[in-house]
Amino acid sequence: MAYSDKVLDHYNHPRNVGSLDKQDPQVGTGLVGAPECGDVMKLQIKVNPATGIIEDAKFKTFGCGSAIASSSLATEMLKGRTVDEALAIKNTEIVNELSLPPVKIHCSVLAEDAIKAAISDYKTKNGVAAETAQTA
Amino acid sequence: MDHEHNCWQCGSADAGSLFCRYCNSLQAPIPDYYAFFGLPRTLSVDTDELQNRFYSMSRLLHPDRFTRRSEQERRYSLEASSILNDAYRVLRDPIRRAEYVLKEAGYEIGEQRSKDVPPELLEEVFELNMALDELRMGDDGVLPQLDEMRRRFLEMLAAIDAALETKFQRHDTRPDDGGKAEVLEEIKSALHRRRYIRNLVNEVDRQLSSRNA
Repeated sequence: MAYSDKVLDHYNHPRNVGSLDKQDPQVGTGLVGAPECGDVMKLQIKVNPATGIIEDAKFKTFGCGSAIASSSLATEMLKGRTVDEALAIKNTEIVNELSLPPVKIHCSVLAEDAIKAAISDYKTKNGVAAETAQTA
Repeated sequence: MDHEHNCWQCGSADAGSLFCRYCNSLQAPIPDYYAFFGLPRTLSVDTDELQNRFYSMSRLLHPDRFTRRSEQERRYSLEASSILNDAYRVLRDPIRRAEYVLKEAGYEIGEQRSKDVPPELLEEVFELNMALDELRMGDDGVLPQLDEMRRRFLEMLAAIDAALETKFQRHDTRPDDGGKAEVLEEIKSALHRRRYIRNLVNEVDRQLSSRNA
């Protein structure tokens, strides 16, 4: 099966590979996996607490070209959006942008899961932080 | 398990499962592994007893014993011997046995979504992949870490196997209509987890041996 040019581009020149400080309260980390194919994807966002805008996003994915391209594209899509806008990102956008074939759609689903997991981690961290601040 | 049928040779009803109790002709083999061995459908199996049955049935069913019998019996003995070997290979191994029971009960094995792997395991898998990456780039400094991870995965496997044994007993002691399904569901996810970790260990071994090669 041939990869589309866009997949190859992201695969050969992945954007935003790396990691952010997991302990930083501004950082949300999403770690998801697809056991059957062994893909593991870590996606992190750094949110400006004042504006709610995602200022940075990093990923590291162990998996096939489509999984790497999906998460690479996801980090690009995330930057500059608010957390709520980011929650609205659907895997179909990734499928269309990368022209993923049906057998690789699960890679885009994984990327969407990773985004949601990262946001949920960020919210949990800050929800908990806010509560502690109130009780203190 | 009851297996009542008429003998293909003499037509007697209630012929018996292996050989007709009236005319002693070999009957069509029962494809179900438990029924074939004449064992109850339990997840815990006495493997000594299984082995005894395997040896005695091997002798009874061996195609060499049927060279002078009818073509039908010669064919049945080949089929039966083949089922016997498959059934023994599956039933003597607790994992394969459980997979067989699940599959026969209509459970899908081997299909799952991302959420099935617990988060704490994902962390380990991610760390493992990072370490393997570094190993591939020639950094032998990660070897102790890989050894340690491999050891932890093997411990997890041992823990899963111990838990499975308990679940097997729980399954076997429940009545057919009283919550066997619930236990089978638990066993299914334990098997998935087990396979996933097994794959991780295999991957570590593969990478380590290709490095030594």
